[in-house]
Amino acid sequence: MSRAVEEGARQTATAQTFNGETPPFERIVADHGPLISRIAMSYEADPTLREDLTQQIFLAVWQALPSYRADASLKTFIARIAQNRAISFVTRQVRQPPVAEMPERVESGQPSPEEEAIDASERRMLLDATRRLPLPQREVIILVLEGFSYAEIADMLNIAPNALALRLSRAKAALKKMLEPTP
Amino acid sequence: MTDLDLERLGGVWRQQPDPAAMAELQRTAEAVRRRARWAQWADAIAAAAVSGVVALLVLRNPQIDTLLVGGGAILFLLISQIRQRKLRAAELRSLTGTTEEMLDQSVERVTATLKRSRLGLIFAGPAMLTGLLLAYVVEHNSGGELASRIAAYPGLGTAIKLVAVLGFAGMALHVFRQFRRSRRELERLIALREAYRQERE
Repeated sequence: MSRAVEEGARQTATAQTFNGETPPFERIVADHGPLISRIAMSYEADPTLREDLTQQIFLAVWQALPSYRADASLKTFIARIAQNRAISFVTRQVRQPPVAEMPERVESGQPSPEEEAIDASERRMLLDATRRLPLPQREVIILVLEGFSYAEIADMLNIAPNALALRLSRAKAALKKMLEPTP
Repeated sequence: MTDLDLERLGGVWRQQPDPAAMAELQRTAEAVRRRARWAQWADAIAAAAVSGVVALLVLRNPQIDTLLVGGGAILFLLISQIRQRKLRAAELRSLTGTTEEMLDQSVERVTATLKRSRLGLIFAGPAMLTGLLLAYVVEHNSGGELASRIAAYPGLGTAIKLVAVLGFAGMALHVFRQFRRSRRELERLIALREAYRQERE
């Protein structure tokens, strides 16, 4: 998917431009804002609460930036904060996180309207299904979908590779079941 | 779908938001940063202002009791600032650590909140009684001066009693709700921690 590739290329460019130093916050938002937004979206369906969660993640990232030591990539650092904040956010909610969908905007441009419609509907289904996963499985699936390597995910979650493989296979099975069309 | 192609799904997942959504995201982030900076400044200015006022009072009235009260106020301010910083640092550590570490710390935090709420509920009654007793002693020693002043305004006594009772009931209700909310949150956190442990096995 070309837009996903573009995003990856831009993040690599950021890392090279600010080699060894933490980039300014605006640049971080430009490069990793969509990642934060997607993580917030996969944990909270209610638009008002999701806005609140997104703000909390931005605040946590801004506050934590001085402690970033480049022992992992900035993307890993931000994803970890976003996931942890999102999980603590949903556990604070009295109600269960709703699985209702919210309107999504898909960029107009290169893909044809038909392709866009397919993409949007597939993305919507994927998002719905991801939100229904138990939190430990959801966390792993989101990181895989965000393009992190298995080694990075195992390191981020501090679990052994075989434990990650097991959790991922459970998550994949559950996701597959939800994404399969009902007969 | 025969097998789940996560690589392809990842491409669908990572679609960039449109420019309008991106601009909205930038605005949100900027607003968050601006508010956080303001809060930092407001904290620093408030601490400096309180310290200045206390120092001024002590300088204008250099007596041992003023010095003790002023020193105590500054010490209290200092301790609360240090405590706030420690709490913020602990929260940031939990956010930058693993999920299980974050859950462990959250369990500790909510357990402490629960303990405080429980103590609040237990001591609310005795605290109210002590307050009433103190008020009675002060009033009795002053020869009922305050009571006679209140009695000069018809309905004021009843209004004061009503406000006091409603205030106390409201406070007790708030503490009780907080207690219940914390208990539910703790249950959810423990269940989630257990789910993570099971996934690890």
